[in-house]
Amino acid sequence: MLSHSALCRLAAKKAGNANFPPEVSSRILRYGAPVGASLLRYHRLPRCMDVLRSHVQSGHTPPVTGSVVRADILTRSSGRFSRCWHAPVGGLYLALLWADTLLPEFSRQLPFAAGIACCETVQQYIPAARIKWVNDVQVRGKKICGILSEMVATPGGEQFHLLGIGLNVNIRHFPEDLQTTATALCLETGRSVDLDEVCALLLAGLQWNFGLLYFAEEQMLKTGQVEEERGKSLLLERWLQLCDTPGRRVVYGYDVQKKPLYRAMVLDIDSAGGLVMELDDGSRITEYSGEILYPANA
Amino acid sequence: MASDSIHFDEILSKYRSDPYNYVDMCAVHAGEVRFLVEDEADVLGVSGEWHHIAGSPLYEITRERNPKVITSKTNGTISYLNKEVEGKFVEAGTKLLTIRHPLKKKEIIEAILQEVLYLFPAPERARYFFSMDIQSRIDQKGARSIVIQPGDEIITMSLMKRDTPVYYDGEAGILHSLYFSPGDSIDQGVPLIGVCPEEKLAVVQKIITRVKAEWE
Repeated sequence: MLSHSALCRLAAKKAGNANFPPEVSSRILRYGAPVGASLLRYHRLPRCMDVLRSHVQSGHTPPVTGSVVRADILTRSSGRFSRCWHAPVGGLYLALLWADTLLPEFSRQLPFAAGIACCETVQQYIPAARIKWVNDVQVRGKKICGILSEMVATPGGEQFHLLGIGLNVNIRHFPEDLQTTATALCLETGRSVDLDEVCALLLAGLQWNFGLLYFAEEQMLKTGQVEEERGKSLLLERWLQLCDTPGRRVVYGYDVQKKPLYRAMVLDIDSAGGLVMELDDGSRITEYSGEILYPANA
Repeated sequence: MASDSIHFDEILSKYRSDPYNYVDMCAVHAGEVRFLVEDEADVLGVSGEWHHIAGSPLYEITRERNPKVITSKTNGTISYLNKEVEGKFVEAGTKLLTIRHPLKKKEIIEAILQEVLYLFPAPERARYFFSMDIQSRIDQKGARSIVIQPGDEIITMSLMKRDTPVYYDGEAGILHSLYFSPGDSIDQGVPLIGVCPEEKLAVVQKIITRVKAEWE
């Protein structure tokens, strides 16, 4: 398994491609460095997130920010709303713990940072990968990576972000009901991909993008500008480069598969990451939670 | 508020003589103000199935060449307009106008109840739903059969696809009033639930019955 120092070197290499002055890059890297501070790997788990959640909630030992739990197989994996997540051998499954030390307006952008890291990782192999708001990663309309994001508190009340990431790497066969909606790196590239390499790229990407979020917060505190005045953060600007949602017609719902609410055209995202949409009657609505589908006939 | 301290006649007479809620609108941030309404004008609140149609434009505030139109959240009549600040630079929070909103019977009951109940507000602008345990108890026996204690996980807040458990921190009591439906988008600070300490339940019922009976 990858060491933390090797991970930091990989993140530093990534920083070299990001066009920031060296002193800024090093600040960003420092902020994100705790990602992967502890790496635990299991062959088989019900769910990676459960391990970290139990640890935080037990209060036995202080949780370490940046802790990662990885498993080769998940036996009780699920997505949002208890949807099925196929997790056999060949996928990358991990959970990450991160202390909630950001201001609320930046804390809510952490799921965006995770989405960017996942999309950038997939793009190393498949440049066509794109993000669908908020952080699903798709390749040509098929989901390749999913992220779950929750908050969990210690008995003393300290809040942690708990991220669960599932990335389809070398999964050649999906259950029938997922065959038209899911894909994997190996299916898109036509070859097997080194799982450890994908894991390292993903964790390095999380280091960089979490760091970028903290740096954006630092800049905001320096300038004193409120959310509405300063526009989109560096992180959201990067997210927009990878996202194919603006300009598309979508179906929106809180649980969109079970209960779609309305159709709309996506115009933009606002400075808080909210999805700005235009309804058929010309009125505008901004949503800060829920999910979207790209309708087949759009 | 103890039961013997509720003076129904006094409260009802207050609402009979002035059945309005007065909503003050203050500058959302510093900037130059230009009013878009006249004194005594009628204004409309937010409407539409998804609450997506903005209310009547009230004022425009411009800061650093960035004009922003602020619209009404409620219907009513402009009862006060701070004309002195028209065209001038104001600080954030400066009172600009007041909307006189006519109260319906249901709103009057709520207004009185909100003086008695413990109101648990939305921590952030997000979508909310009850925790699985609370929802199943509401479905089986109704909200008013549920007693909640400080520290109970009662609600899940969903924001940017991130689910956060919300723990109750008020006084123990019965889940009396639910101010949202699961999955609703709620603004920060708006009450999500109203909790009634068990000893006040009789008083609360009395308020509802009395207003329903006496208010036309």
